[in-house]
Amino acid sequence: MLRFIFSLSLVCISLLGNAQTKDTAKVMYPERYGLRVGVDLHKIARSFYEKDYRGFEVVGDYRLSKRFYLAGEIGNEDKTVDDDRLNFTTKGTYFKVGFDYNSFENWLDMENMIYAGMRYGVSSFSQTLNSYTIYDPTNYYGENTIISGAEFDGLNASWLEVVGGIKAELFNNLYMGFSVRLNYLVSNKKPDNFDNLFIPGYNRTYDGKFGAGFNYSLSYFIPIYKKNKTTTEKK
Amino acid sequence: MKKIVFITLSLLLAVSFWNCEKDDICAEGTPVTPRLIIEFYDAANPTVLKSVTNLGVIEPTFTEGFGFTGVNKIQVPLRTTADITTLNFIQNGSDTDTANDNIDAITFNYERINEYVSRACGYKTLFYLNDINPIELTADGNNWIQNIEVIQPNIETENEVHVKIYF
Repeated sequence: MLRFIFSLSLVCISLLGNAQTKDTAKVMYPERYGLRVGVDLHKIARSFYEKDYRGFEVVGDYRLSKRFYLAGEIGNEDKTVDDDRLNFTTKGTYFKVGFDYNSFENWLDMENMIYAGMRYGVSSFSQTLNSYTIYDPTNYYGENTIISGAEFDGLNASWLEVVGGIKAELFNNLYMGFSVRLNYLVSNKKPDNFDNLFIPGYNRTYDGKFGAGFNYSLSYFIPIYKKNKTTTEKK
Repeated sequence: MKKIVFITLSLLLAVSFWNCEKDDICAEGTPVTPRLIIEFYDAANPTVLKSVTNLGVIEPTFTEGFGFTGVNKIQVPLRTTADITTLNFIQNGSDTDTANDNIDAITFNYERINEYVSRACGYKTLFYLNDINPIELTADGNNWIQNIEVIQPNIETENEVHVKIYF
């Protein structure tokens, strides 16, 4: 959580910093259109500090109009969850596609974003049930933990995401971003006699159909073409 | 549109915090590994329920068991690690006087299936009593139990009686 607050404030500060640029009267500012590609820093960092996790995500967006961006993520996760009664490993690849709507009124030549968006995500994965414990309330004969190793292949799930986030230009064409996501499970192919407790890209599942996630992205903007915008005088 | 964006952002932020909450615990009342439900009947009058007095039920090698008195329906756990469970049903076994004890050993033979329950509860074991020799009463020349009848060989819930014992 500390990391999250730190990077959030970092992004906010950079937004503030950019806001300090001097005003000028009626100038033409070109709006740049292009492709932005990057990676999720959180997944990379987690792969280092969390023993049972390996993950990678590539993020990208393409500016369609003044406010709309075609956006998507593609990634791979391998996570072992060690719960009280279950220990399992989920491996798989996911793909998300959708759009972002930038609500931030940029001054001058700034290109920051405060956005909301939607994604449709699909994930294909497999699970290995490493071990499980029988729940016997009397516990008369002692705890019975079974080493299973059962594999469940060919699982898949799809979901809708509501995305909210910010992106700020740190240096020339280099962007730092943070987004949070509320997920709604649309389809979920469950294994026989087990459940999808973790879905790559979707994260942990709960009893209902909702889930949540977030990412911190570091991305690079590749300008493709420009359109002019006129800003009116501001004091 | 701006309002919608603002609402979405704050909602998502709230959710991201809520996401950090700890794992849930296995709620009481969740159907987990069932115990064997035994009902006691009068051997002389097989349709009439009969209450046990100071009945002790214990695994022969254990030091701790279960005591039942004044009830005609009891619940006993079966082994989830093996397809066989032997329990000593001791008449007057749960009182302090050991001289009046009458030990009857009963062996249950079954097959097991482990079924997934939930993240918090893990798995449960369901028991299926064998068609042949589901329950064996060890004859010791002085059995207080007269007869045993299997009513429901599939032990999947605790909501029904599985076995009737006549004494």
